[in-house]
Amino acid sequence: MNFENFFWILQIFIAIGLIGSSIAAIRFKNLIAAVIAMAVFSLALSVEFYVLQAPDVAIAEAGVGAGLTTAMYLLAIRNTTDEEVIE
Amino acid sequence: MTPESLFMGAMILLFLSATLTMIRMLIGPTIPDRVVALDALTTTTAGAMVLYGVITEQAVIIDVALVYAVLSYIATLYIARYLVKKRVGLA
Repeated sequence: MNFENFFWILQIFIAIGLIGSSIAAIRFKNLIAAVIAMAVFSLALSVEFYVLQAPDVAIAEAGVGAGLTTAMYLLAIRNTTDEEVIE
Repeated sequence: MTPESLFMGAMILLFLSATLTMIRMLIGPTIPDRVVALDALTTTTAGAMVLYGVITEQAVIIDVALVYAVLSYIATLYIARYLVKKRVGLA
């Protein structure tokens, strides 16, 4: 296996993860499940930056995605309600 | 078979197991299932990041795996605190 084929196989896996987790983050009705899907999306995006040889952007994305947004979304959900309101 | 191709095969297997874990995250019926799936996913991906740093022979980008392994623990901790407070009745 040379590096070219390996790179494209990695790209296919990361694309599957990005598309699946973003569709899940939109479609989930439970808000905590949507926050978890957003965390998985941020993880896949960080791996994509990493594979494309940009480790500083990947570190920034990991810090913001895993630490900040999850905690802030959970604090916001805790101060409001848990379920999505469907009218 | 060179050592690089061996590492590449190991990294592809790690990504395959990460995909299976993500299926559990998508179909998991309860919230703790999804939290455990997220934790396993970050651990698997940190291992894959270290393997990628070995393959491309750049020691700088292994730091990303360390930072992610430290930070993903905060996310799991916050979700676990939220679930405990919700069960007790504080949230």
